This record gives sequence, C-alpha cells and structure tokens, in this order.
Amino acid sequence: MNPLRTLRQRLRRWFHERLPRSDTLTLTQRNVYILPTRAGWMLAVTLLVLLVGSINYQLNLGYLLTFLLAGSAVVGMHIGHANLRGLTLHLTPPAPVHAGQPALLDIRLSSERRRDRHGIGLGVIADGGLGDTHLGWADVPAQGSSTVQVAWTAPRRGVHALPALTALTLFPLGTFRVWTVWRPAATLLVYPAAEQHPPPLPAGQPQAGPTGPSTTTQSPGEFDGVRAYRRGDPQKTIVWKKAAQAFATGRNELVSRDALSAQRQQLWLDFAQTGTHEVEARLSRLAAWVLLADRLGLDYGLRLPGTELPPDQGLAHKTRCLEALATC
Amino acid sequence: MLTSEVLRRDNWASRLPRDARDTLFLLVVIGWIAAMQIPHVPWWCSMLAAGVLGWRTAITLRGQPLPAWPWRLGLLLLTLGATWLSHRTLLGRDAGVTLIVVLLALKTLELRARRDAFVVFFLGFFTLLTHFFFSQSLLTAAGILLALLGLLTALVNAHLPVGRPPLMRSARIAAGMAALGAPIMLVLFLLFPRMAPLWGLPDDANTGRSGLSNRMQVGQIARLVLDDGIALRVRFDGPPPPQSQLYFRGPVLSDFNGIEWRPLRSSFPPDMAPTANLAVRGDPVGYELTLEPHQRRWLLTLDAATQAPEAAGLSASMTPELQWVAAAPVTQLLRYRAQSFTDFRHGPLEASVALQDELTLPPGYNPRTLALAVELRAQHGAGPQNAPALVNAVLDRLRTGGYQYTLEPGEYGANTADEFWFDKRAGFCEHIASSFVILMRAMDIPARLVTGYQGGELNGVDGYWTVRQRDAHAWTEVWLQGQGWVRVDPTSAVAPGRIGAFERLSAPGGVFTGAIGTLNPTLAAQLREVWEAVNNRWNQWVLNYTQGQQLNLLKNLGFSSPSWADLAYVLIGIVVLVSLAGAGWQLWERQQHDPWLRLLQRCQRRLQAAGLDAPAATTPRALATQVQRHFGDTDFSRRVTQWLIRLEALRYAPHSPDTLATLRREWQQLAWPKESPR
Repeated sequence: MNPLRTLRQRLRRWFHERLPRSDTLTLTQRNVYILPTRAGWMLAVTLLVLLVGSINYQLNLGYLLTFLLAGSAVVGMHIGHANLRGLTLHLTPPAPVHAGQPALLDIRLSSERRRDRHGIGLGVIADGGLGDTHLGWADVPAQGSSTVQVAWTAPRRGVHALPALTALTLFPLGTFRVWTVWRPAATLLVYPAAEQHPPPLPAGQPQAGPTGPSTTTQSPGEFDGVRAYRRGDPQKTIVWKKAAQAFATGRNELVSRDALSAQRQQLWLDFAQTGTHEVEARLSRLAAWVLLADRLGLDYGLRLPGTELPPDQGLAHKTRCLEALATC
Repeated sequence: MLTSEVLRRDNWASRLPRDARDTLFLLVVIGWIAAMQIPHVPWWCSMLAAGVLGWRTAITLRGQPLPAWPWRLGLLLLTLGATWLSHRTLLGRDAGVTLIVVLLALKTLELRARRDAFVVFFLGFFTLLTHFFFSQSLLTAAGILLALLGLLTALVNAHLPVGRPPLMRSARIAAGMAALGAPIMLVLFLLFPRMAPLWGLPDDANTGRSGLSNRMQVGQIARLVLDDGIALRVRFDGPPPPQSQLYFRGPVLSDFNGIEWRPLRSSFPPDMAPTANLAVRGDPVGYELTLEPHQRRWLLTLDAATQAPEAAGLSASMTPELQWVAAAPVTQLLRYRAQSFTDFRHGPLEASVALQDELTLPPGYNPRTLALAVELRAQHGAGPQNAPALVNAVLDRLRTGGYQYTLEPGEYGANTADEFWFDKRAGFCEHIASSFVILMRAMDIPARLVTGYQGGELNGVDGYWTVRQRDAHAWTEVWLQGQGWVRVDPTSAVAPGRIGAFERLSAPGGVFTGAIGTLNPTLAAQLREVWEAVNNRWNQWVLNYTQGQQLNLLKNLGFSSPSWADLAYVLIGIVVLVSLAGAGWQLWERQQHDPWLRLLQRCQRRLQAAGLDAPAATTPRALATQVQRHFGDTDFSRRVTQWLIRLEALRYAPHSPDTLATLRREWQQLAWPKESPR
C-alpha cells in the first residue's frame, strides 16, 4: 500500500481517537472544520487570472468583476460555515443486525436557526478519507429537524463501537468543504450471520428428571412434540400461537403440545453438536436454528462453551440467545 | 400521490427532470454570455456557438447521450482552423475572445462530472472579463452583472443536492451573496494598488476604437461626422467661452501627396525647425477635460493651452503646431486639467524658410485650381502684403459661389480641389478645408490643415460640455506676415450654421430615439441628457478611478504623502477592524441569549463533562435527579441538587430569594470532587 496513504490513515485514526464519544453533538466553532476544495483552488486560480487580465489591460470593470467574485466567494465561505455551525446531531442507538447486514443509523439533525440549512451530507468516514465517503443528503428546515439514515456494515459479529461519522456541506459554491467528525457513543450489536440453508433442528434430548430416561425415541420430524388437539387436552397444553396462525388462515384447528414429549424431550442447541467444526460456521448455524425454533414457537435452550441458556421461548429469550452468540 | 403544488404548476418546466432543468438554466446563462459577444466575434463564431448550444439543448430535452469525443475533437479543430482563417493567429486578444466563446459552448457538450461543470463555470467567469476589452459602459456592466448572478445561481443550485429546489431559491441565495460581497468589492476596488501592466500589452490591445486619425483622405471624417459617440467631456471652471471659439486641437496635417494629408515630417534639421512661438492675451479659461480612450498620444485641448495638461502620471509635450502629445497612448479614460487662452498668436512673425513645408504641393494635381490661383493673384496682387485680401477673396468665393455644405458629397476623383471648386461645389469640412489649403498654397500663402473637434453641447443635467465624434472637424491655418498662423475656418463661410450655432446636421438615431423623438422631441432630448449624465458619472467615478484618484483618496483620509505601502496599511487595517467587529458581534449575539438559559447550559456542559448523560433539553429538576443518581448521596451532590432547585425556583417560583448573579457566583465557587466517579 502507498506509504503516504497509510500515514494519512494513521493520522486520521489518531485524530479520531482524540474525539470524545457522544450521541448528541452540537456543532460549534470548535468542531467545525473548513478547507478549500479542489474547485476552490480552481476558483482561486481563475480569480488570479482575472486580476492579471484586469491589470494588464487596465480594465477597471475587470477589477470590479474580480473583486465582486472574490467577495462573493468570501461570503460563501462564511455562509458554508454557518450552514453547519449551530446544528445539533443526535443518533438513535441502532437496532442489532446480523453480520453482513447493513445497520441503519438514524441521525436527527435539528436546527434552531431562523434560516434553512441546505445540502448537509452525512456518512461514515471511509478508509480513503472524506473523498471516498458515501453521503446521505438532507436539508434542515428553519427551527426544525430532519432525519438522515446512514448505512454501515460491521465487519463481523460482536459489539462494535460505531465508526466515526461526518457531517459535511459544500453549500453554497462548492469552493469550501465544511465538515465535522463525530464519534457516537452508541454501540452496535452484531449477531452472527444466520446460515442460509441450515440443516433441520437437532433431535430433542430426553429430559433429565424424576421420570427417568425415556425409552421413547422420536423419529426426526416429530421432534417438536406437537400434535393435533384432542378432546380433553388441558388448555395449557394448547399452542395458542399456532392456533392463532391457523385461525388466521381460516382453519379451525388447534394444536396441543404433546404432554409426553414436552415433558420428556427438550430441544438443546448445542455448540458442540452442530455438525461443523469451524467456530463461526457453528455460530452461524446456531443462529439460524435459534431463528427457526423461534419461528416454530418451540422451547429451546442454548449451550455454548461457558454459557448455558435454559430452554424457553419468546422474543426476550431469542434476543438473549442471539446476544450470547454474538458475544461468545 | 400528487401534491397540489405539482398539480398547480404543471407547466413544461416543472415536468422536466431536475438534471435537465439545471442544465437548461446553465445553457441559458452561457447563451447570454456568448450573445453579448456577438458584435465582437466573427459571424461563424456566433453561429457555431449558437448551434452547439442548441444541439446541447436538444440533447437535454430528449435525454440523449452526449456526443462522443470525435465530435468534440472535430468541432475543436474546425474552430481552430476558422479562427486562424479569421484572425491569422491563434494568440492575441481578438483570436482569444473568439476561441473562448466557442470553447465555452463546446465544453457544455462534455458536462459529465462535477469537475466539468466547474470548468464551465470558471471559463464563464473568464469570458465575462473579455467583454470589457470592447466596452466598459454602464449597459455592459449591467449585462455582465446579470450573467455573473446567473452563473452564481447555477453554482448554488448545483450544491443543493436534496429534492428539486426552485431556481428562485438559488437565485435569492446568489443575489444575497453578491450583495454581501459588494462591500468587499468596494473596499478592494478603492484600495487595491493600481499598477502598470505586468508585461507588455499585445499590439492588438488598442485596435478597433474610433477617433480622429492622423491621416486624412476625403471621406474619412464623414464616418466620424455620423458617429454619435462621445469623444470628450469638458467642465469649465467659469462660464464656457462662446461656441464659435471652442476649437479642440488635434493633429495638424501639412504634408499633402495629392490624395492624403499627413502630419509634417520636417525636412529641416531640428535647430532650424520652427518653434510654436506662442503668445497669449487676456484671461485663461480653466477646465477639466475627460478624454475617452482613443489609443493615440494626442491630448485634446482648447486652443491654445500654454501649460501641459495636468493629471497624475501624465507627461505631455507640445509640438511646434501647438498640439499637446502624451508620452504614452491614451488607452483608458483620462481626466486632466488644463488652461487655455482663446486669444493667442503663434508661429513665426516674419517669413522663414521653415514655412516652405507649408507651401509644397504635389506636381500634377488640381491644374484648374492652380489656374484659379494665378487668376486671383492677378486680380488682387501677389506678395505677402496682399495675403489677407486673397484669403478674404477666397472666403467670398465660398460664400457667394453657390457652394454647399453636405454630408453626402458623392465620390471625388483624383483632383479633389478641382472638383470642389468647379464641378461639385459641395462637400463637408474636410473637402472645403483641403481645397482651401491647396488654393492658398497655390497662391504662395503658407497654409495647413488642423483637425480636432469643434463645438459640442451642454448637458443641462450635470453641467458637462459634451463633445461627440460627429463634432470632429477640419479647419485651416494660414500664415500671415506679422500675425503668424491665423485660424481660418472655410466651412463657416459655406455653412455658417455649422460653426457657432447649436443647429447641426445630425444622423438619424436608433429606433427608440426615433420613436420618442417623433412623439416628443423635448422629452427625447431630456432622456438623453439624463442618460448621458449617468454615463458621465459612471465614467468619472468608476472607469476613471486610477492610481491618482487612489492616492487622492488616501490624502483625504489624512495621509500627507500617500504611497503603495499606505494602501496596504489601510487594507490591512480594514481587515483587522472587520474581524474585530465580527468577533464583537458574536460576543454581543451570545449576550442576547437568555442569561438564565446560558447558566443552565453551563451547568449542563460541566455535568456532561463529569460523565452525566444530560441532553440539551433537560430541566434543572431532572438534572438534579440525575446528579443524585450519579454521584450518590454525597455532600457535593446535595449542594448541586440544592443549587439546581434554586435555579428552577428563580425561573418559575413566584418569589425567589436568589438572583442570577448570586447563583452564578455560587456555581463558580462549587468545589468539584477531584476524582469524579465515572
């Protein structure tokens, strides 16, 4: 890699590390930066040529034109800086995503100024610097706010600090780039990517309990321990979730938990028994199984090296399991 | 869903995609810039630019792809070739203007990336400057301002990336920027040091402007007579002299080759050359003269100025023929002060060999005039003592011989004097003067042609005396023994109205003046006077703002002997002052915020720094709760909580014992724990 580029990246990282993390950032004189763009330098050269032309041909109107353009550019510089200064950026903590999926960062821009703010771009600062950054654009109305969504894909599962973001404007003439660097405090939880076509759920395991090990083995496919409702089944064994789905599709069928199997069989998603060896592949499969089991409305437990989540169901349980998978 | 706005404004422009609309607007602006150059570029250049812009418009409207590079290269080569054919060069001012107009149009065929758009903008700015090569009038300035605002609008519009902002919004922003930039422009214009050209001007910098010429062929001044352009403006210190004495002297032509009059190139060595030998009587007339640039070295003065015209940086010398000549050509509007004596005498009083130059006639021309001379001398007697009688005889002949003043005398052949005296008997000043001088020389009376301006008119609005190109005139000087050179204006003998009266033969004006003039001649004259007064102000204040005026300004500011360094000091001083004012304003603006809110914000910031999550809109009470939670039940947290409750009470309780000042003081005196728990 180009050593200069590496050096610049390192400098940028060092600079970013120094910034305090915060989910709300109000832009002031101190954290808004401004530098001429390439177009700005082009304008400077144009102004110089105009000036030399005016001097050489002794054109007083040429002077007027040159100085009016220069004055407008100077005013444009101030307008551009004021366009960003005083803006407040607020990040809503992002929802967890699976590895490989882009996380959407919702950023609210609010302004107390009595004039509109135009053309403010937000984005995650790319490795190549601001020039490579992909930006989402927004106008902020006077004394109002608007929202920009910035997508960011985390490199792998785990808890990630959000990358440095930038708010940038080229308004009004494109001759000055006014920008800020913002390190949000929020973190992003990234679950392992769910395997695309996972194998069926593993067979249930006999429940260790007073009844002792059961001799009944279930054929694959009946692992879930549900069967059609039979008259006399106690109400609490009815799988209401399934019932609701069935009613919704127009069938009047009830499904009961097979008391026997529900008591005797427990679904354990075990890190050691995924059928693959590679750690990430195992986690990926487990994540897929968690999602599958949750969709089927089963009780399931998760066994990871050093962690064990007892069988349960529901959203909170699913989240707990995925979190465990993300952070193990 | 269609919004009502879309339904309401369902014209074709609002149905265009935004990109297309923006491109069309830019094309209109570029079209305007190119259109202003039409009078100054070859016809093919205008056609080519119009064609390319039209093509680009069609591409935009139909959403077609841009032409491939061979097209652009081909057009570029065509342009280069045509420019070479038109100008015989690719460099220099005129060829450069032609090229830049076409390049600007061609570049629109290449609007792909952001960079291309910027190239168009900056090329556009540069093209604006080229307009000033040809005209710096008020109208040009207005046109350029419009174009500049158009370019700025397009530039602003390009930096409003969201949605489809109306062009009016961009225009408002651009106009605001220009309005705020105007004071900067003014300061720089007044104080930026005016320097001499950084390097030699190309030769063609000075062509293409009309004015008097130092050669005279029959028919040449006829063009000037028809030209309503302004040659010079005069403001007299006192009442102006009678119009019959308003002769502004230009080149004196003594060398005649039968066809063309030229200035004398004396055949005598310098020490024998005649001197001006000027003697004046009476009181001088002081005046300030503003000379339009004519690219020559002549400084026109009222006959006769004894002292050199005064202007900063102007050095002038007088020729033996009383003409004042500057050291360098007058390339920009020049304002100078001068004093003239209308009662004067010049030239040698006794006959001298040097006068031989003013007696020479080319052999073989105007035989009938020579015969007339012999006849007249036989009638009135020869010799210097009879010269006045001969002059009067010829003037009588002009008055009574059926000679007519006309602007359209028709074509003259080789023997112009013969044709004038005997055949046509009609002509304007240069025919009359030329024939008069030839006849005088034929009678052995030294005579020469003087060109310049005669007359002028008073602008009632601003009191300036305006002399136009159509006031260009040719008169004569004859040498009489004991009197020296005496002005004789033979034209006045033919058409007394031409000299000394206000009535004149004026060329038909444009459509506008024509229409108004027919309806109401007085109104037309008044409108014209106002317009010219405005133009004159423009010339005096803007175009004539030179180094001299700049240093005068510094003098008025109190510098005793201003220099460039002082200009720099004033500029720097202004920058410093403006910066200080800006900082002061910011401070003042901060004061304008509610002081209670400011104190709360200070507290919030301090607590945030200590690790509290206190967003901007937290109330004091909520802050207090957070402080309790964060710091626990310590002495410090109790004091902060109490302080916050009092802050709240100050704002909302009906009666509060505290004042803002005490609370602020207490806040400052608060002892923060050394290691705030994180």
